[in-house]
Amino acid sequence: MTVKLKKELSAKVAKAAKAAGYSSPEEFIEHVLEREVAKLADDQPGEEVMRRLRGLGYID
Amino acid sequence: MKTSPQYRAARGAFELALALAALAYAGLHPHSAQLAYVGPGAGFAFLGSFLTLAAGFFLSVFSLFSWPFRMAWRAVRRRNGYRRARVKKIIFLGLDGLDPRLTERLMAEGKLPNLARLAAGGSYTRLRTTFPALSPVAWSTFATGVSPAKHNIFDFLERSLRSYLPQLSSARVGKPEHVLRLGRLRIPLSRTPVELRRKSQPFWKILARQGIGCTILRVPVTFPPEKFDGRLLSAMCTPDLKGTQGSFSQFTTRVAQAAYENGSRYPLRRLADGFAGEIEGPPDTFLEDAPALRIPFRIVRLNGAFELQVEGRRCALGPGEYTAWQRLKFRTVVGATATAIVRFLVTETEPEFSLYMTPLHLDPERPALPISHPPYYAAYLANLLGVYATVGMAEDTWALNEGAIDEDAFLRQAWDIYQEREAMFLNALENTRRGVVACVFDTSDRIQHMFYRRLGTAGPHADTIEEMYRRMDTLAGKAMAHAQDGTALFVLSDHGFCAFRRGVNINAWLRDNGYLHLKNGSRESGSFFEGVDWSRTRAYALGLGGFYLNLKGREALGVVERAEAEPLKREIIRKLAALRECDGDATPIRNVYATASLYRGPYLDAAPDFIVGYNEGYRCSWEGAVGKVTAQVIEPNQKAWSGDHCVDPALVPGVLFSNRKVQAADPGIEDLAPTALSLFGIEAPAWMEGKAFF
Repeated sequence: MTVKLKKELSAKVAKAAKAAGYSSPEEFIEHVLEREVAKLADDQPGEEVMRRLRGLGYID
Repeated sequence: MKTSPQYRAARGAFELALALAALAYAGLHPHSAQLAYVGPGAGFAFLGSFLTLAAGFFLSVFSLFSWPFRMAWRAVRRRNGYRRARVKKIIFLGLDGLDPRLTERLMAEGKLPNLARLAAGGSYTRLRTTFPALSPVAWSTFATGVSPAKHNIFDFLERSLRSYLPQLSSARVGKPEHVLRLGRLRIPLSRTPVELRRKSQPFWKILARQGIGCTILRVPVTFPPEKFDGRLLSAMCTPDLKGTQGSFSQFTTRVAQAAYENGSRYPLRRLADGFAGEIEGPPDTFLEDAPALRIPFRIVRLNGAFELQVEGRRCALGPGEYTAWQRLKFRTVVGATATAIVRFLVTETEPEFSLYMTPLHLDPERPALPISHPPYYAAYLANLLGVYATVGMAEDTWALNEGAIDEDAFLRQAWDIYQEREAMFLNALENTRRGVVACVFDTSDRIQHMFYRRLGTAGPHADTIEEMYRRMDTLAGKAMAHAQDGTALFVLSDHGFCAFRRGVNINAWLRDNGYLHLKNGSRESGSFFEGVDWSRTRAYALGLGGFYLNLKGREALGVVERAEAEPLKREIIRKLAALRECDGDATPIRNVYATASLYRGPYLDAAPDFIVGYNEGYRCSWEGAVGKVTAQVIEPNQKAWSGDHCVDPALVPGVLFSNRKVQAADPGIEDLAPTALSLFGIEAPAWMEGKAFF
């Protein structure tokens, strides 16, 4: 998906990204969208979570 | 007319050309072509529609015609990229967990001659690690030159703000978005989503944009691989074919019930001439109930020896000897296959027979998930050097922890994996005239985890760790031999090591101090906070490094108001730092840090609110790390996993050797990324926090 931003918004995004410590404006935009999408996403069931963590040496 | 023979012939020729072009395109861009592959535990994806074929056709034609121009442009960029370089090549040799105290002692004893020579001719210093001192955190900082607040990796685990359940912090493997249902069949129509959760940008991406070639081998937190103009082989936390972090199998005639936490025990049926069993693979996600795929096998006794017969192949089984890598093909109901590689080891023959099988490593020649960039690079290495372990934490520590293999068998496995890694590393050094070669070896970390309790004893394996340090020194010598001519060499570790004798369950402490409550007056919970009363819980712990406030507006069931947070943090820090045991003689916790005081960055909200600086000998308990509340706050650690580094970072710095004079006052692992840029004459971006050494 490609999203086009207006010039003024794009400039503000670049400035905000730099101030916040992101490595690029794209990273900033992705993070903002991820946070919003995470509110709507379903979590994996507990058994699936436990299954995927099996074998990780540091935890039981 | 459209039905004329001429039209039909033309249409047939066009379709044939399209199919050939799609195959050619797949050869050039295998992951983009969405050929049938398995998402471990998450489904398969077929070659798509006519539109995909058409797109593939045009892209492959474009690729073929543009190839000479792209190669010429790349050559020009590379020549330009080196015009301000102060070196021809940089070698980063990562020896995970190499501890400075042990290194310094062994150097003083003359047992590490190569590292001593490197220190004398260049420099040696201790290297500050990250908060917390964990490999995924530290290597992410090595790669990006920023703190966790800017790269988003704070631990192996992170929690869901909705369910409080843990997930791997470094990568997500999801399920296909679109699935076609045909009776019992489930046909995935889209790709398995695989996402790298480490943010910011690794230095090799920045170098590559300037035309500096980079070969990045098994640096942790590189799964799935990012696209860049270089070569990369993924590492921690690449899953196995079942989608786990590496769960072993044991096939046995032992009838007694045994449940492994991180492996599975399967029965062997006795036959007249041997045994029969079934290998359980990933689920067949083409079917509604996704039954596990299985491959039957037989073990035949022949003249006192044993032979494994599986998928029409025969393989000798020498007791106590690992087989070579064996390929297993799991076939689904629709005919698509997923391939794994495994090794077998007979661990006992009489009176019971037991056969250990490694986790189902993704086959590097046809990986079910992307494990390299370019996609063919994993297969290229396999064809060149032989197949190799691909699971992120390849050395099977849980098989030793749970007694499925013994210490000797674990060591043989670990050193075999080391040999594979060394072959890749030396091959890269021999074939890299200029640019960067970075390779991390995990052997040093795994052996110290599993044999720390043997240090300083007189019994078996007392010298295992020292022997490992000597072999790492030999490896460093081989790297030094490639660093003669305008090459900067850095040998580093991400953290040190100490003993892990006592586990501290922070959740139990929180319960005892009124910050965490359980339902129905219970004192203990199940894993993952089962039984916790969130309506009265103000703090909770998950993962190895820290714990969290149950914050209103952040956690779904948060109760702590924002205005209360800071005073509550100060109160908890004061009380927890005062924790004592053994009648007040032992201090489990050296320091408790408010994470907001440690670093700043856009991902700080995802960080634990507190990072616990355990003292040597202590660590987060096994149960505490997975959100279980136990009766006792502190319990002995009785596993073979007896060394660790999840303690106060000040106690476990890493090491840094270089053939250059590193004169920084307080060098940290975040400084290697800007140093790499600086050596190639590239200014570090403003968001990088590390400082170049030169």
